[in-house]
Amino acid sequence: MADPAYSALRKILLDEITPAVMVLPTPLVEERCQKNGLSFVQMLTPFCVFNNIDVPVRTASDQPYRLQKFKLRMFYASDVRQQNVEVTKERLKQVITDAGNNKDSDLYLDPSPIETIPISSQPDFIPTWFQFFNKELVRSVSFSDHEAFDHPVACLLVVSSNDKDPINKFVELFNMNQLPPLLNDGAMDPKIPKVFVLVHDNQDGSPERATKILAEMRNTFGANDCRLLCINSLQGEALDHEPNPWEFYMPNASPDQHLGRLLNKEDVDELKDFVRDLSSKDIIPNMEQRIRVLNQQVSATRKGFRNQIKNLWWRKGKEDAPENQSVNMYTFSSIESQIRVLGDYAFMLRDYELALSNYRLLSTDYKLDKAWKRYAGVQEMMGLTYFMLNQSKKDAEYCMENAFTTYLRIGTSGKGNATRCGLWWVEMLKASGQYKEAAGVYFRISGEEPLHSAVMLEQASYCYLLAKPIMLRKYGFHLILSGDLYKKCDQIKHAIRAYRNALSVFKGTTWSHIRDHVHFHIGQWYAFLGRFDVAMKHMLEIVACSHQSKPMQELFMKNFFQILQKTGKTYKISRLQLPIVNINSLNIVSEDHRTYGSPAAVSVKESIWQSLEEEMVPSLTNAKTTWLDLQSKLLPNKLKQSNVCVAGEALMVEIAFKNPLQLSIPIYSVTLMCEYSPNEIIPDANNSFVDQSIEDEKTTSDASLFTLSEVDITLTGGETTLAQLSVTPIKEGRLKVTGVSWKLSDSMVGFYAFEPDLIKKRISKGRRKAKQNTNKLEFLVIKSLPRLEGIINNLPSTVYTGNLQRLSLELRNSSEIPVKNLKMKISHPRFLNIGNPEKSDVNFPSCLEKEKTPSQKDADLDTTKKSDTIFHFPEDTIIHKETPFVLPLWFRAATPGNVSLYLTIYYEVEDKSTAMRYRTLRTHHILEVLPSLDVSFNISPCPSRLQEYIVQMDVINKGLKSLKLRQLSSVGSEWQISLIESIQDIIPSGNLASGQSLSCFLKLKNAKTTETATDVWLGRIGNEAVFDTQRAPLVNFHHYEQLHQKTSHKEQEHQSTVDFMLISEMEETETENKPPQIFSHHACHCRQCGNEETDMVAIGRATDYSL
Amino acid sequence: MASTACFMIISKNDIPIYEAEVGSAPKKEEAAHQHQFILHAALDVVQDLAWTTSAMFLKSIDRFNDLVVSVYVTAVTHTRLMLLHDSRNDDGIKSFFQEVHELYIKILLNPLYLPGSRVTSSHFDTKVRALARKYL
Repeated sequence: MADPAYSALRKILLDEITPAVMVLPTPLVEERCQKNGLSFVQMLTPFCVFNNIDVPVRTASDQPYRLQKFKLRMFYASDVRQQNVEVTKERLKQVITDAGNNKDSDLYLDPSPIETIPISSQPDFIPTWFQFFNKELVRSVSFSDHEAFDHPVACLLVVSSNDKDPINKFVELFNMNQLPPLLNDGAMDPKIPKVFVLVHDNQDGSPERATKILAEMRNTFGANDCRLLCINSLQGEALDHEPNPWEFYMPNASPDQHLGRLLNKEDVDELKDFVRDLSSKDIIPNMEQRIRVLNQQVSATRKGFRNQIKNLWWRKGKEDAPENQSVNMYTFSSIESQIRVLGDYAFMLRDYELALSNYRLLSTDYKLDKAWKRYAGVQEMMGLTYFMLNQSKKDAEYCMENAFTTYLRIGTSGKGNATRCGLWWVEMLKASGQYKEAAGVYFRISGEEPLHSAVMLEQASYCYLLAKPIMLRKYGFHLILSGDLYKKCDQIKHAIRAYRNALSVFKGTTWSHIRDHVHFHIGQWYAFLGRFDVAMKHMLEIVACSHQSKPMQELFMKNFFQILQKTGKTYKISRLQLPIVNINSLNIVSEDHRTYGSPAAVSVKESIWQSLEEEMVPSLTNAKTTWLDLQSKLLPNKLKQSNVCVAGEALMVEIAFKNPLQLSIPIYSVTLMCEYSPNEIIPDANNSFVDQSIEDEKTTSDASLFTLSEVDITLTGGETTLAQLSVTPIKEGRLKVTGVSWKLSDSMVGFYAFEPDLIKKRISKGRRKAKQNTNKLEFLVIKSLPRLEGIINNLPSTVYTGNLQRLSLELRNSSEIPVKNLKMKISHPRFLNIGNPEKSDVNFPSCLEKEKTPSQKDADLDTTKKSDTIFHFPEDTIIHKETPFVLPLWFRAATPGNVSLYLTIYYEVEDKSTAMRYRTLRTHHILEVLPSLDVSFNISPCPSRLQEYIVQMDVINKGLKSLKLRQLSSVGSEWQISLIESIQDIIPSGNLASGQSLSCFLKLKNAKTTETATDVWLGRIGNEAVFDTQRAPLVNFHHYEQLHQKTSHKEQEHQSTVDFMLISEMEETETENKPPQIFSHHACHCRQCGNEETDMVAIGRATDYSL
Repeated sequence: MASTACFMIISKNDIPIYEAEVGSAPKKEEAAHQHQFILHAALDVVQDLAWTTSAMFLKSIDRFNDLVVSVYVTAVTHTRLMLLHDSRNDDGIKSFFQEVHELYIKILLNPLYLPGSRVTSSHFDTKVRALARKYL
């Protein structure tokens, strides 16, 4: 516990609770004094404080002691009154505003972290103006009638030697009408001791006239009470006092005012002696005398058993009196007032024991009288006396609290006193180290007046900082409360200071609402002061306010953009949280020797492509044989260590942006950030060792080295959007994708730098998997290569099963360098078949019709059959620029469902100097196949003849459109097929509508002859155009169907089987001119089913066909 | 039911892992941060008081104007359940805390829940709100 003797409160009390002296000067006196830039009181003030006055005093019980420290307070009579509330308020506000403007300098610096602040008893970061403010607050309630220590103990009547008729002036001065209300309304004794002072200005002449007047005064007013004071003795040059004693009391005076410039050393000494004499010879003995008299009176009336009983009884009788006593109930002559005066005088003369006993006595009286304000005042003094006695800390605090609550209870009139009492109480608590409690009291002092509350709360917060253990969160909270109140009173600078200090606690907090609140407000206030750059720093903290409600988000965004606009600067913010970049979604698609026909092809698993390309690509076959020889000789070492991309070809990057807000935000110019460094190494197959360190690796981001795509995206609330960006390198060298950037507005650019370690990249599969250290964002740009682009013309997205179409594959080469040695592989030959490249102008479907003269079978039939995996383009196929190569394709939708078709085309580059000899084009096509006819065959032996069978064909149209049956053929030449009944009888229209089924019987005969009727016409009679099932593409597709259906019939391979092909057509209703759509349905490996023999017989009988 | 009540679970590292406004009064925008401020400041008091008693329920430990902070400190993880309220129903609050504690233990038992991370379970949220309606 700190020694109260040295505590702040003791100092305050010795400063504030000291005898007051009322001064009444004539105007001439003031005029003389103003020559020095000082008023009379100001002139005396510096000399009113004595540190070692050494005056012997006797207590009421004749105990001698010596007063050392002493102070007089001098007031003009006109100031000895309670101040106007509004004026006080205005003055206090001015104090705060001035303090705010003074603290301008460090307002914009970053707050120092809390750990670095030295925690001493009075840290220097606590604003010094608090003490000044508190003093002003305390003084604002001076000169109340309910306490006596402000009542003047003496009166100085000051007359100038130049005044006419000075004796009369003295009498006039003490005119009752101009005296303070305290003396007039009976609160204090008007007969106060007077001291008559004659002021002589030495510039006005020799002091002879003055001495004459003084003699006259002594005759009139008595010898002891008259004084002569000579001033302005200095002749000529003005004197600068060093140190200037007045400067401390008038901090607002400018140095060139030369305070006290006409007072020489003798004058100053005379002033000192004057005040000293006044204190030791007049005031202190007077007070001592007064104490003695009062003490006797009090003892006579109140002390002793009899008096106590009497008093108690007398008080009881008054109990019924109205609670609100009239103001003048306790006049100076009442015993209560006298006790109070006695107590206060004793306090001021440091006789605390006497003061305490009197205060105690008085306290019970006032309590019984329900004179609450006076009671509170006495309790307050009791608390202070206990404190000064350094006896009972608990009693002292109890009294202070009692006084404080009582003042508060009496309402507005007690508010100022409550504040003063609270401030003293706080100091008392601080003196004993109870900072937490002190903060609580500060909090209680803060009342309705927002500006005062703000100051009090700020002081409370500093108390929490000094508390042990330190209470940082409370500190922060109270600073915020204080800041809000400062803002309410338009003290923005103070508000910012409070918030800034609080920021040292709340910086980086996970309490989202707190963080948002602090940054948002401090940002707004800085913007208000025009410091937009600092404001922006704070506003950036709150951009990602996803936890806030929608209106709050709107408010935040509105302010954010407003401030951004006003800053007039362009910001480039790393990892801007709006929108959020989902780094895991990063996907880079680079094309080296593998090129893709469409984005859909990129997302296909690499293994699918590899299995397709296995036999075409030379390096892959190498890799398969020996894994040690993994690194093919096609690329030099250097190339293998990084990813490769080709100049002029776009590098695609996909990255997801997530909008954390509920509002929709547009972002502009989403683009990649890339670095380019020239690479002088010419890819050379012979040079296996390449120096790793490239000298002069200057990185440039010139637009001529690569081009970037820009995308604008609008993200609706909470949405995640995948942005597809691309960079196209133009020159050979090294290209590094460093990040992604976007514009939130013209002056707010966000970017996100990719960190290579964190990124999983999907392109590096297969061969590159072995190299873990590869920087996956760095690409080696190699010389421009030809790149084939292929499209399949007329490929339908939705077809019916069995539909046969003629398509064409168109390959284009946009490069000057031709490509050759093309190979192609199709993942599903059931669906796609290659036509004869030489017959590009065939007329479909008439080309399928049987020719009158049986001709040679198509050449491409053989090619398909011998190599069912890879299609080699004709040897001389070379694709040049601007001359697309067209390859006819046959398409047949084999099975219903969603079908993915993969095509991969291998080609070699003509130019031998390039790093890559070959490339592949991968295309991926997705189609939806709808069901159409469902055909099934049942074969049973003919009961009457050998080698003949009855076939039941069931057809159901499961599609949505009606189909027209065309022909049924048995594939091959082994089986002769004929209708048992005319088809017109079964289905007269020839149309099989949606959902309709058909069942008909056919006769099948094994015929080894060459000319067998293998086809049955099912369509309209007279329009027979039978298709040749032995011609391409029907035979090709049939071949694959056969292969496909074979698996399920393996065990019965020895049996003789028959393959059927049902051909139907669909009339295009919309367009008359178009040829009908052709459908083929294949049923392979049909055989006699023994189990159902009896059934077949039964059916045969039921239909009663004559065979 | 209390007209204003803000419930928060604070992890050992003073990070809020769950928060809910459970008062019956219509939610005010500016109240959200105020509640956080009060609860955040109350942690200073909890820090002192938690070690002075063996009870987990610390009753009302702090107040701001007419809002009172009640705290329940779990024994093992030193997780603090904090309730800011304006009603004075100590028994109800105690029961509320005990039941929420049980719910929280169930969350902790979830092997996929990392202790000290945010509680995002919607089931937990509905349960807590139901308990608030029941007891507060």
